[in-house]
Amino acid sequence: MINIKKIILIFFFLLFFGCSPKKNDPNRIVIWHQMRIDERVILEEHLKKYMEIHPDIKVEALYKETETLRSGYIIAAIAGQGPDLVYGPSDQIGPFQVMNIILPLEDLFPKDYLDKFNPKALTYYKGHLYQIADKLGNHLALVYNKKLINKPPETDEELIEIGKKITIDKNGDNQPDVYGLVWNYTEPFFYIPFYTGFGGWVLNDNNEPTLDNEANINGLKFIQDLRDKYKIVPREADYNIADMLFKEGKAGMIINGDWSWASYQKAGIDIGVAPLPKIKSTGLYCAPMVSPKGYSINSNIDKEKLSKVIDLLYFLLDVEQQYYTAKELNVIPTRKEVFKYEDIKNNEIMKNSLLQIERGKPMPVVPELRAIWDAMRPNYQAVLNGEKTPQQAAKDMQWLAIKKINEMNE
Amino acid sequence: MKIKNKKSFLVKLITYIFLTIFTIIVIYPIIQLVSISLRPGNRLLSTDLSIIPKDATFDSFIKLFTERPFLKWIVNSLYVSFVVTISGVILAALAGYAMSRFNFFGKKIALLSLLTTQMFPATMLLLPMYIMLVNLGLINSYLGIVIVYSATALPFCIWQMKGYYDTIPTTLEEAALIDGASNFYAFYKIILPLAAPALVITALFSFMTAWSEYVVAAQILQDTDLWTLPLGLKSFEDNMTSEWGLYAAASLIVSIPVVILFLVLSKWLVSGLTLGSVKG
Amino acid sequence: MISEKLKKNIFIYLLLTPAFIVLIGVVFYPFIYNIVISFSNMNLRHIKDWQIIGFRQYYKVFFESSQPDFYVIFIKTIIWTVVNVFFHVTIGVALALILNQKIKGRSIYRMLLILPWAIPQYVVALTWRGMFSYEYGAINLIIQKYLNLPGVEWLKNPTEAFLACILTNVWLGFPFMMVIALGGLQSIPNELYEAADIDGAKWWQKVKNITLPLLKPVMIPAITLGIVWTFNNLNIVWLVSNGGEPSDQTHILVSFVYKAAFNLYRYGYAAALSVVIFIILLLFSLKFMNKTKVTEKIY
Repeated sequence: MINIKKIILIFFFLLFFGCSPKKNDPNRIVIWHQMRIDERVILEEHLKKYMEIHPDIKVEALYKETETLRSGYIIAAIAGQGPDLVYGPSDQIGPFQVMNIILPLEDLFPKDYLDKFNPKALTYYKGHLYQIADKLGNHLALVYNKKLINKPPETDEELIEIGKKITIDKNGDNQPDVYGLVWNYTEPFFYIPFYTGFGGWVLNDNNEPTLDNEANINGLKFIQDLRDKYKIVPREADYNIADMLFKEGKAGMIINGDWSWASYQKAGIDIGVAPLPKIKSTGLYCAPMVSPKGYSINSNIDKEKLSKVIDLLYFLLDVEQQYYTAKELNVIPTRKEVFKYEDIKNNEIMKNSLLQIERGKPMPVVPELRAIWDAMRPNYQAVLNGEKTPQQAAKDMQWLAIKKINEMNE
Repeated sequence: MKIKNKKSFLVKLITYIFLTIFTIIVIYPIIQLVSISLRPGNRLLSTDLSIIPKDATFDSFIKLFTERPFLKWIVNSLYVSFVVTISGVILAALAGYAMSRFNFFGKKIALLSLLTTQMFPATMLLLPMYIMLVNLGLINSYLGIVIVYSATALPFCIWQMKGYYDTIPTTLEEAALIDGASNFYAFYKIILPLAAPALVITALFSFMTAWSEYVVAAQILQDTDLWTLPLGLKSFEDNMTSEWGLYAAASLIVSIPVVILFLVLSKWLVSGLTLGSVKG
Repeated sequence: MISEKLKKNIFIYLLLTPAFIVLIGVVFYPFIYNIVISFSNMNLRHIKDWQIIGFRQYYKVFFESSQPDFYVIFIKTIIWTVVNVFFHVTIGVALALILNQKIKGRSIYRMLLILPWAIPQYVVALTWRGMFSYEYGAINLIIQKYLNLPGVEWLKNPTEAFLACILTNVWLGFPFMMVIALGGLQSIPNELYEAADIDGAKWWQKVKNITLPLLKPVMIPAITLGIVWTFNNLNIVWLVSNGGEPSDQTHILVSFVYKAAFNLYRYGYAAALSVVIFIILLLFSLKFMNKTKVTEKIY
């Protein structure tokens, strides 16, 4: 009996130990973000520096995975809570604005300050500024293995030619051991560059989907041909399979975003980064979606805290911090002055990355984009499965997108 | 007699072979996790199917403890899981007993309502739960999480205890009561020890619920200092480039306490009930 | 003089109250909230200012044409649940029977066989997904090398993708039933087996007439809840099929709800769908409980 009593006592003691909610401290700033591991390390270093300069302020950064961040922030903000700053890709802005959980920023910063930024870094929606970015990118580009390819293709025809030369079946088991090109081609985001290359785009100025057109039909057929006609792409490839093949040196080229390039270097592949090729028949460059990642302010924020948060933002967005980040991570900064530094200007990967960004199109921030992804995905995969023709799929994508947008906006 | 021995030896042999092959198939994916944790360069998949990769390294394991607060996550999780386990066992042992022994007003409804708590997809309960916890001041505290986890694990545990109590004949308590024992004494000293196997299951299940839960913890815990293991593991995940080596190494380590707990509790997975104690 | 009956009743309520307070607080309030939302138009445009609009969301659940159809997903969910639970229980009980014997190395087998349950699901589910890869996965390699059959395009075809999810989930779920069965076997007095031995009963007769019936009260809660949990298990289907691929056809009801609610912010619709799922499960359990007479005692 004594033993049981002891255990119960310890139990209750521990229980009370566990409840220690932090009160609302005006000198404590909280940031929620979805930064990659290497970006997080840099952020921590920046925050440490800031807290050394301002010893009375405490800044805490909490990582949440992108989707968890989106839904978690929505839930928290609606309940009147949440962090002071939320950091993420620009397409978060659409739904956040509609739900009224972020603040307009244009009145909080002087105009000549905002002019110092690359215009792509300032995300406006419905006439107001909602996010200021410190990194520009999230864009796809052509990454190639310098051991297998010395000059990257500049047109689609060259892509196919180079691909065919590299795709070889060494041991005669009817399956290529090296592929010309691998990438996560079953996901619409990774198809967009070819869609734009053939002349298409996802929505018009009224935020209506524009998916039923020649460009889409030609684009879909092109992807099919890469796999079935020219056979330079594996039959089944998702993100991890493509990643595996490229890291093992079993693929000449991969189409992947700027978040992945460092991991290929770490895996020992001598990579080159090149902008995506031009489609010869249209004369257009394949344009991936480009998206800034930046900070927005929670609309639930305390008025007194606002000035402290703005001060923190000035620091995090400063040229010095951005230069350091760009140097360490090869990401494109948003302050124009960073490009004055020699080592940034002359970095080969950064140069090509910037070129790709300039050829890219900004990712729409409107909530309708989600509906469009959800409409494209099943139909796109149906084409790859041979269940639908490109013509039918284009029509169905358009129809489904309109339907889903209506459902979302009821 | 010889024939009988031969037969049973043959049966035993076949059983062993079957069991071994089955076990190997079952742990094959786990072995793959070992490979991933030893593989450098952050690779989830590999065309090389060897178990120990050619360039194997313990880097991931080392990184886990030196570059991430893995140890802190373990301590946090152990704390939360321990509290949930104890409270789960106490509450379920009591409630299950009531459900088993007594017919009272509203019993059927009570049992049903236990079940119904499991039928709602958890993701739908997040928003109202968050609002409620905010109003109670339980956000970002372990008390909030412990309460939610207990509520999640209780329905099954109560049902389980009840089912097991049902297999213990009431004649045992009746004998004790006749001898002058109180209701509680009969329950605590006589019936409960016999229900040890069910307590094992309750403890194991409660522990697992708290040890591996992510969704609720992600919503309620806002402080990195308070992170439990599932939140920590999730931080290895990135939209596209997860840290697979760390993830696999952590997953393997995370399963060790559960296995140890199971082995320790297995001691009580013995039959305490014999018909003999009821005779006469 | 307090009557015996009253004393007994107070004792019971004291035993039950702590548990029920916790449950009511944590589960019932969100539950009611959800029911209310299901009658509302809560979505992207009406996130704080939603209003009650009657049964319209329910109408949409049943009659709105969606890809795929509600009824197709419903049937798939039932198949998913039945197949999974059947294998969980069969494998679990069989293993428990074997591991209850005093065989050498019993602890090691137990320890290894509980691993699928003990290990965090995320990486393991993705590992399974990798094993189903057409060109590089272990499963096709074994099929082609040792069985001389052509490789299956697991993740590209809806039926095969569904099968892949089922296989993964069976692997994940049988240890749980095995543990429950191991516990339940302890409640069966040895004398019953000895008596049967004297009567010359064979092993399968003993299993059929002694073991299985007496395992019932312990297994039934696990099976009932196992059915409910499997019905609602979003994780595995989501991870192995990468969110419903191919073409959104690998879904069970909950993964579909998740997509509706969190991708397109249609909270009212998702709430209605959740309530429908709930009622389906409730009706099922009522029938199941009645059939197995589980709320009563057995001795």
